Amino acid sequence: MTLNHLQKEFDKMMNRDYFSDTVHPMRKEAFAQFLDLGFPTKKWEDWRFTNLSPITKQDFSLSEIQDAPQDDLDISAYEIEDTHTIVIFNGHLQNSISSLENGVSLMSGLEYLTHKNDGFTQAKNTPFDLLNTAFMDSGIALVIEKNMAIKKALRILFITSSTKNLMISPRVHIDLGNASSLSIIEHHVGDSESAFQNESVFVSIGENAKLDHVRIQSNANTVSNMANIHVQQEDDSHYSFFQFANGSQLGRLNLRAELKGEGAYCRLDGLALSTNNQHLDHHIIIDHQVANCISHQNFRSVLQDKSSGVFSGRTIVRKNAQQTDSHQSNKNLLLSKNAFVHSIPQLEIDADDVKCAHSSTTGALDEESLFYLRSRGLDILSAKNLLVQGFVSEMIESVKHEATQKMIQSHLQNWLNSNA
Amino acid sequence: MLKIKNLHASIDGKSILKGINLNIKPGEMHAIMGLNGSGKSTLANIISGREGYAITKGDVIYQNESLLEKSPETRALDGVFMSFQYPVVIPGVNMTYFLKAALNAHRKHRDEEELDAIGFLKLIREKIKAVDIDEKYLKRAVNDGFSGGEKKRNEILQMITLEPKLSILDETDSGLDIDALKIVANGVNQYRSSENSFLVITHYQRLLNYLKPDFIHVLIDGKIVKSGDMSLASILEEKGYAWLEK
Repeated sequence: MTLNHLQKEFDKMMNRDYFSDTVHPMRKEAFAQFLDLGFPTKKWEDWRFTNLSPITKQDFSLSEIQDAPQDDLDISAYEIEDTHTIVIFNGHLQNSISSLENGVSLMSGLEYLTHKNDGFTQAKNTPFDLLNTAFMDSGIALVIEKNMAIKKALRILFITSSTKNLMISPRVHIDLGNASSLSIIEHHVGDSESAFQNESVFVSIGENAKLDHVRIQSNANTVSNMANIHVQQEDDSHYSFFQFANGSQLGRLNLRAELKGEGAYCRLDGLALSTNNQHLDHHIIIDHQVANCISHQNFRSVLQDKSSGVFSGRTIVRKNAQQTDSHQSNKNLLLSKNAFVHSIPQLEIDADDVKCAHSSTTGALDEESLFYLRSRGLDILSAKNLLVQGFVSEMIESVKHEATQKMIQSHLQNWLNSNA
Repeated sequence: MLKIKNLHASIDGKSILKGINLNIKPGEMHAIMGLNGSGKSTLANIISGREGYAITKGDVIYQNESLLEKSPETRALDGVFMSFQYPVVIPGVNMTYFLKAALNAHRKHRDEEELDAIGFLKLIREKIKAVDIDEKYLKRAVNDGFSGGEKKRNEILQMITLEPKLSILDETDSGLDIDALKIVANGVNQYRSSENSFLVITHYQRLLNYLKPDFIHVLIDGKIVKSGDMSLASILEEKGYAWLEK
């Protein structure tokens, strides 16, 4: 995508009255900064191993009002039981088929910025953060007041379905008041032949509040999916994140968690299953800014064919973040000689009284285990599949929402069967 | 049941087996004794189908067909079982799930109906009694957190569940205390019949005292140098192997 083309799309956006002009100054500033930087190249340290050509070599156009569904949407194919669902189709919120539990207020992105009364700073960590601010379309905010325990899981269903090369820039704010709790599931689906989704999620977790965040990236294998997740945690807050990715041609998770309050607990897990020429990344930064916080990272990938991926996990422990307890594990299973993965664990520790551990392993299926299973009568394919299931089972079983766990299990089965 | 004919095998160009001949009939138990490096485990591995060995001469005939070109799973389904010297720990793979899948592969192969979860549980609850394994181990990953003795009992559990015709016990006695040894021996003895054959590989006499094999063979430097009955085991225990070496 040329910057010229992006400029044209941006001008188009400025001229559409359904994009509120209140945020235009913000957009303009972000877009100008983006143009200064351009898309990352392989010369950029954090982008060395991510081939962005699926995004940069095609032109994508703004998702406009006519790209919203004209008729009632049937979402039964994407059912997950026991959830409330908010539907976003090609970047457009579908209020009529969305449901919410009492205690959750759904605001527009604009309302949220007003609600925060200028107390919100746009992210500028990567060009994609800036691009999201410039083009954000489906801005929604989920705001939970303090002391609210939201029982039923809330799913945001992102459907990307169009014959056009759409650029979709979802923006989600999740704001949990003190001592509240919420379970949220991002569910990314759709049959678009080509699309570029550049999603930004801002998570703010108040003191003693608890958020379970599951992200399922199961859209078509022709889509490019950039997820920019920003998390801020206050004292004694609890955040657990799990991403399951089997969709997208190019998928990259950029997650930055800032532990700003003492006693915060942050657990980040991810599982990617890739095949053909898919490239699925996990780029994690955990920033321990204060003392007595705990963080865990556990990321795994299983790679078939010529697929590739990156795990980059940076744990930052600032000078006053004493008594930090941080653990990081990355395991990759290569099912093909042509698959490859880059594992880049990084520790930046400025405090002296901390516990930080990390480990990384990459390898093929264990021959001895394979022989053991076969010697018991399992054919080679069943034996391989069983070992892959063993490799990923602890990750999938950590998903607390039962119907979601079941759905991920069935994705795994389909993935194994389609590689048979 | 099993005929090993003039078997020569090597690993990485190094000759290990130098002409093994052995004939095991239905219902017989044969023991192969020998020191480390004599080729005992190589023989077990070749029969069960482990890769990495070059067969330079000879053949292994099982039920009138050569085994050598067959995959490990085909051999298993045809009734060949090996109790591993070092059972593998497989994290994340549930013991019950694994054993049920293995049993159902066998049942399918025998044109029997596959067992569902309830049917399998009923069967396995009976089987674990024979090897004194607590039911909680069935909920763990395969061999995960099992002690040395528990791993070996688990091997015997798999044997009596899959019901092979030819069972190879590769140093099943190593690392067992006397109680575990008795349990393992008892599990094996219960499974003996006029149809089931065994090849027991060991360094020591103590397991054989419980199993009382029909034949004992001494393997030295890739060849069977002496065969006999249980009395041979006692002589070996007393005199060692040196008197048999050239």
